[in-house]
Amino acid sequence: MRSGALSFNIKKECNVTKARSGVMKLPHYEVKTPVFMPVGTQGTMKGLLPDQLEELDCEIILGNTYHLGNRPGTDILEKVGGLHKFMGWNRALLTDSGGFQMVSLLKLAEITEEGVKFKSPYDNSEIMLTPEKSIEIQNCIGADIIMQLDDVVQTTFQDYNRIKEATERTSRWLDRCISAHQRPTEQSIFPIVQGLLNKELREQSAGEHMKKDVNGFAIGGLSGGEAKDDFWPMVSLSTGILDKNRPRYLMGVGLAIDLVVCVALGVDMFDCVFPTRTARFGCALVNTGQLNLKQKQYETDLNPIDKDCTCQTCKNYTRAYLHCIVTVESVACHLISVHNIAFQV
Amino acid sequence: MRFTIKQTSCSGERIGLLSGFIKSPNTTIETPTAALLTQGGSVAHLTADVLSKVFSNPQLLWMPLSSMAHLETGAKAQGQGVAKFVALPEHVVCSTFHNMNEETPQGHFESEKVPLWTRNGKKMITADRYMDMMEVFKPDIFLAIADGHTSLDEGHKRIVKSVSRTCNMLDVCVKRYKESKQLQNSSLIGVVVGAGLPSKCAECIQQIKKYKNTLSGVALQGITDGTKESYKEPIEKIENIFKRVGDAVPKDLVRIAEGCWNPAIIVAAIEHGWDVFGGSYPLELTNAGHALVLNYDVNRYSGEACVLDLNDTSYRDDFTPVLPGCKCLTCRKHTRAYIQHLLNTKEMLASVLLSIHNLHHYDQLFYHARQHIASNTFSVFKSHITKQYDVAKTPYMNGKHDSEMTDIEHLKKKVKISNEEIINGHNIMNGIA
Repeated sequence: MRSGALSFNIKKECNVTKARSGVMKLPHYEVKTPVFMPVGTQGTMKGLLPDQLEELDCEIILGNTYHLGNRPGTDILEKVGGLHKFMGWNRALLTDSGGFQMVSLLKLAEITEEGVKFKSPYDNSEIMLTPEKSIEIQNCIGADIIMQLDDVVQTTFQDYNRIKEATERTSRWLDRCISAHQRPTEQSIFPIVQGLLNKELREQSAGEHMKKDVNGFAIGGLSGGEAKDDFWPMVSLSTGILDKNRPRYLMGVGLAIDLVVCVALGVDMFDCVFPTRTARFGCALVNTGQLNLKQKQYETDLNPIDKDCTCQTCKNYTRAYLHCIVTVESVACHLISVHNIAFQV
Repeated sequence: MRFTIKQTSCSGERIGLLSGFIKSPNTTIETPTAALLTQGGSVAHLTADVLSKVFSNPQLLWMPLSSMAHLETGAKAQGQGVAKFVALPEHVVCSTFHNMNEETPQGHFESEKVPLWTRNGKKMITADRYMDMMEVFKPDIFLAIADGHTSLDEGHKRIVKSVSRTCNMLDVCVKRYKESKQLQNSSLIGVVVGAGLPSKCAECIQQIKKYKNTLSGVALQGITDGTKESYKEPIEKIENIFKRVGDAVPKDLVRIAEGCWNPAIIVAAIEHGWDVFGGSYPLELTNAGHALVLNYDVNRYSGEACVLDLNDTSYRDDFTPVLPGCKCLTCRKHTRAYIQHLLNTKEMLASVLLSIHNLHHYDQLFYHARQHIASNTFSVFKSHITKQYDVAKTPYMNGKHDSEMTDIEHLKKKVKISNEEIINGHNIMNGIA
């Protein structure tokens, strides 16, 4: 065990695969792994109350540093004493570095050795997100687990030199992040293994991170729409190098099939916006895939979304009624989010 | 459904009890009370689970047909009534034609048909078609179909039409109701329209009296057409209508007031014996990002605002509850600053948290009103509430003199119906006479 901010105990290991189950003890909560972490971008989970998330057995949720740093802003978060207090959530939190938004806002960003220069989509002002700045904001948000700032390139990107540059820069930025970290006894910083689909670079990245005194690792750069045949071996490669006794977090991956495969590959933590995003369009997740409740076939279907599911939505509501209100009433979005989170968790 | 009057005071306010609901014999609802407004069958912004965190006992749900007409196919397939279909089976449903808080396009009338404006467009509805739908939805209480979406400024001719159409449709509703097997457990309410034209309004009341052994109550429409303008009539004018109609209808019928009235008008209507109010007001506040913080303690009031606009950036770092001391889930667990952030980022949780507080606090208005009626101190409570709407610069000041309205606008409005006719020569309206 390294610092008091995280202790990880493996309870059971699979004989055949690399899968394991364990308990990750964090300052705000003891999280059972493997765990799926729903994404609450702006300090809220798409219309659900913290009480509902607890009832859904969510033990840890994710917040986006980039968005929270803008709104409500670090001044407010500092005044109130962190995001936990601000949003009334007493269990564990994890924040990203703000770096992932680089991919989604690439047109607005310029990456240099110093950091990432953004144009704020809110007021068009220029913002320089350096590794130090990212950690400063994350220290202020106060999540149990925080991420290093990494140099993100799109997964489908092919230029070897750029990928190499990003991988090596990520390692350099890790050192800057670790030395900027002000609250190591309350927050654990995770390095991010980069290298996209390049085997050598991944090995190099994971190998370098292994030398650091950190409580866990993240595997990044694998959620951008690459083929499964390319992506699963990269996960396996990374988990093969990373320390068995520390938790491993695969960033941005959340489809049911990926969860099952990657747990077998030795991953402990996942996050994805998919269950709540898809809820807004009336899509409910089930074992056989998705139900698009908007479709006419559900008009008189008096079954719940999933008769074996124990969530509040499946206990009370029929597909026929959800069909009537999806994409119109906010209540429908809440109801399907509840089910989809219950399904993922 | 049975309506029992438990206590009446000399000035007209009364405490009553709605009970005898066949599907839930133990459910009782005390009046005066407000119903919870639903959209698409659900209480706006709240799932059944969250609703149960706000109210632990069965509530009266207000279900306008305009927002639930599309549930017909599904509800018919289930066959157990709309409350069950929308997953709120323990609650009591009161169904009506339109939400009196929605603006609808003018005109589009045909003889014996009323346009129903739904999210899928206009549907022309006859009384028979309306009763067909009620037989599917099986509400515990339902208002007869009426042509009552008219304001006090409506032209004479339009009101005459609205009264005769409503009277004719009531005949059909009563006939169908008496013959209906599916509606045996439902209570029919007669609707008074044309409130702005006393002579015509009286005709409507006469028609309702004809069926007083069949009807369980009376609802009042024809004060507003759902426009913001129509809610800006002076409080005296509206109070007078509640008094006039309240005095004219049989005492033992439950009285239902539709419309998005602010608490100052609600307490005035309660004083004239009105029992049930449609629940548009708290939703209107929620959708605007406002929180109701009306003070109910008659011994303690120091001129603070009765509505907070939480969009205001001054709440950015206000880490106090919406209303300190309030027992609702929102106030127990969350702060003004958090709600301000959620409004600012357009997050859905803002409406959920505001709904929880506004519904709870609005319900408290009726709780306190009943307490004061029981202890014969209602007039004190009434002036305590009215005072807060007088002094506060409050959004949604419906029913008050509107200083923003120019004299010319007032004069324009006057042309259609003479004010004297509306208020029988009393209470001459400011700025018009």
